Amino acid sequence: MSLIKDLFTNWSVWRRPGYFESFDYSWGMVIDLDRCTGCEACVVACTAENNLPIVGEKRFSENREIKWIRIERYWSGEYPNAKLSFIPMLCQHCDQAPCEIACPVSATYHNQDGLNTQIYNRCIGTRTCAVYCPYEVRFFNWFSYTWDAPLEQQLNPDVTVREKGVMEKCTFCIQRIREAKDHAKDDGRRRLREGDIQPACAQACPTKAIVFGDRNDPDSQVAQMASDARGYTVLKELNTSPSIVYLRRVDQEHV
Amino acid sequence: MARKKNPGSKLSRREFLALVGTGTSVMAGAGFLTAKFSRRPVEQLIPYVVPPEDYIPGVAAYYNTVCNLCPAGCGITVRIREGRAKKIEGNPAHPVSQGGTCALGQSGLQVLYNPDRLQTPVTRRGERGTGDFHTVGWNSALTTVASHLDKLRLANRGAGVGLLTGDIRGHLDDLLIQFLGLMGSGRYLQYAFTNPTNLYSANAASFDTAQLPYYDIANSDFLLSFGADFLGMWVSPVSYSRAYGDFRQGRREGEDKGPRRQRGQLVQIEPRMSLTGANADIWVPAVPGTEGALALGIAHIIAGGAGRFAAALAEFDPPRVAEISGVEASTIERLARSFGDAKAPLAIGGGGAAAGTNGVPNLVAINLLNHLAGNIGREGGVVFNPKPAFGRTGMQRHGSYLDLLAFVEEIADVDDGVLIIAGTNPLYDFPGDERLVRALQRIPLVVGLSSFMDETMQYADIVLPVNSYLEGWGDDAPEPGVGMRVASISQPVVAPLYDTMDVGDVFIRLAQRMDRDMQRAMPWPDFHAYLRNAWRRMYDKRRDKLDYVDFDAFWTAVLEAGVWGETRRASQRNEFHAQVDYEPPVHAGNDVDYPWYFQPFVSQGFFDGRGANLPWQQELPDPMTSIVYGSWIELNPRTANELGVDEGDILEVSSPAGSLRAPVWITQGIRPDTVAMPIGQGHTSFGRYATGRGANPLSILSAQVDSRTGAFAWGATRVNLTPTGERIRFVKTGGWSRTLDRQILGPRSGETQEGGDHG
Repeated sequence: MSLIKDLFTNWSVWRRPGYFESFDYSWGMVIDLDRCTGCEACVVACTAENNLPIVGEKRFSENREIKWIRIERYWSGEYPNAKLSFIPMLCQHCDQAPCEIACPVSATYHNQDGLNTQIYNRCIGTRTCAVYCPYEVRFFNWFSYTWDAPLEQQLNPDVTVREKGVMEKCTFCIQRIREAKDHAKDDGRRRLREGDIQPACAQACPTKAIVFGDRNDPDSQVAQMASDARGYTVLKELNTSPSIVYLRRVDQEHV
Repeated sequence: MARKKNPGSKLSRREFLALVGTGTSVMAGAGFLTAKFSRRPVEQLIPYVVPPEDYIPGVAAYYNTVCNLCPAGCGITVRIREGRAKKIEGNPAHPVSQGGTCALGQSGLQVLYNPDRLQTPVTRRGERGTGDFHTVGWNSALTTVASHLDKLRLANRGAGVGLLTGDIRGHLDDLLIQFLGLMGSGRYLQYAFTNPTNLYSANAASFDTAQLPYYDIANSDFLLSFGADFLGMWVSPVSYSRAYGDFRQGRREGEDKGPRRQRGQLVQIEPRMSLTGANADIWVPAVPGTEGALALGIAHIIAGGAGRFAAALAEFDPPRVAEISGVEASTIERLARSFGDAKAPLAIGGGGAAAGTNGVPNLVAINLLNHLAGNIGREGGVVFNPKPAFGRTGMQRHGSYLDLLAFVEEIADVDDGVLIIAGTNPLYDFPGDERLVRALQRIPLVVGLSSFMDETMQYADIVLPVNSYLEGWGDDAPEPGVGMRVASISQPVVAPLYDTMDVGDVFIRLAQRMDRDMQRAMPWPDFHAYLRNAWRRMYDKRRDKLDYVDFDAFWTAVLEAGVWGETRRASQRNEFHAQVDYEPPVHAGNDVDYPWYFQPFVSQGFFDGRGANLPWQQELPDPMTSIVYGSWIELNPRTANELGVDEGDILEVSSPAGSLRAPVWITQGIRPDTVAMPIGQGHTSFGRYATGRGANPLSILSAQVDSRTGAFAWGATRVNLTPTGERIRFVKTGGWSRTLDRQILGPRSGETQEGGDHG
């Protein structure tokens, strides 16, 4: 009984607006679709930084690819007035994340920085979270992948290589956040400064479409850009409160 | 078939634990166990007495160097941990990349750590082209080549020695010129089919400046691009993408503050929608090769029948241009009005517009638009670069397709000809033209310098393995620059993985094995020393202007920053020297037997094919189609209907020069009279990830060339399509290609987002 009571208590805490603003940081991202060209530099950058496996042609054809960030493409109109729009899709780090409710072992949870995190050695591979995720950004390791030698020499030592049976997803490059916090501590600073952290996708982006920062800091670039008139969140009707705000691409057909 | 059981699998878990528990004597007795179950014994950790420089376990070191996966010359920063390269980032201080990278640039680590890298020198054993090689030592390989060269040189027949390279710039280029000069040969040619030969020529004709200018996209407010996929892989994609971001949503004063400038508008004119076309506000599908007529049509309206070009432009009234280009007259008028009214209009031409038989006249016509807009040397316009601090421009270094053919055939005609090939793979990116292979076959000695056994290396007698760009020294003056002098040094970020050498070192070592004159003329111990000498000379020339204690301080500072530059700008007057006229494109194949224009395009992942052996690039969804691991041919839905084919149906694509098979991809982004195929796949020899995958569209192109420059006209072939009845399922990322009214791309302008507000 007390368990259920706890759950209800915690639930209201989870649902309390502004809850995450009471913590030190609330990491967020703004993606300007008017800058984004769909060039996919972020996709390779993420693969390189986070030790994503190369699954091979056969497994890719079985939809077992692992891409923490991908470019989605949407066509509208017909030739010759066809239009193609791109949107980078990655874990939205929802403040009210459906995946977190789903996990029977709490392998995925919300940390105090507002990150939706995945604990690999807690995950038992029920894949429920992937079913609950409306953004389709969780990926299951159906196999333990290997790297043809010497490609494994590139693997990032700061990031775990996942094995068969665990779910994985975008972490907002949590290893970089950790490192930056350590450096800040070494420098005797309590708080991180704007620009201390860039996830791999934002760093690689040649058009600077991806901006990352602390939403709790009203002076940060993300906080300011998030209030842009073009700002929106994907699938807002699901009430997931994503940490990623997209800025709509401008339609300017009348030249 | 009965599977042979592993002896280990007979053990139950309990027995196994017992065995392990009994200690080492049992382990030693059970060899299968140690092999099957136990890990390698823990080796002793021995600390370094003198640790290598910058090697702190757990702490990353960062080195600046230069990317050379395409000729743009972006500055990159490589993250090193425990002596291994982990990540490539753009160098924020480098004015070309400004901290960004492209997808291909990120994959440079897989060039370095590629499992298919050539690790030792090899010599040919079987017939040329069969790939039958055996390993030799460096000493014997170098001595073989050096003694051959020495003999020729002493007999005054060194002129028969030729050097063919890809895109080699900076002081390495100087070293190679010197080496060949000492041999008594001037036969040195660079060839890359993506080299914008026609753009150099058109700029020389129009503005009397044979160089690639800096297009100030960021400060333009109306960009008219004719076929130039500058957001894809055209010329300097990272630099252009960076500028494009600001062109759309930049701010005038600084990056974050100040008023937002007016959003620039992009119009892309091309028969097949490229990545740039997808990002354009208006995509104008014109008939391939007629871009010049369209440019003249726009110029006709802007000039309004007055000025120096009135006579030349007189006949390009909108109805006539509409007939040529297939673009409605009203659209042409609209574009001309917008271009004329814009504060800082800019016209760029390249890609398909430059890849016909009429590439140069097309580009000259596009240049005229910039001249009429008063764009030369202006902010938001076309800014020419000052003479680079060192090295030759691409116009001086590169040969056209015809130059290359003549070059190789001439060497084949000499007795005892020697051809040294470094960093280029013409047998892949050449049309279905047997002449090059035949000429190669006739050359007595072909020496290759390469990291991979690619298609061209199969025809070499000796292949010397060279360092990847992350293991060697070099320098670079990027082209196009950024309107100022920029130079960077590339330095080894990791120790060479294998027994490989820099290209420069190979030539210095060869000279050391030749007679005394050669040794004396090339006295440097290695290429690094040569490079330092060259930079010392540059330093000495500017010593008074530079604020460094001595050369060593300067050298270290440049290595650390990864870039060095001078802010002096070139002055350029807005004068136009060329005659403008429209030259209709000539396509190989008549329109009855070959009803479709065939437009191969440089792909995002593979560039000119060199990225195909990188697994990250193979697994990178194509931006337009999301297809991975294969080739496809893009068809308009109308074309697909006519042929009665659907997505995945395999077509036989035949041109006057050959045929290939490719599966159908139906797209709204292509003209019904045009079909398109990505370049990059279809390698016959390029390592395990690339070989035997997809088809190479270049292999069925006719040997069409630009009428002025002899550059390979890779957009000037027509094809016929025949369904084969076979089909495949594309390997691609899933999902719908339409939003189905969900607000994935956001609310329409003027509307606010609906839904979900119960937080």
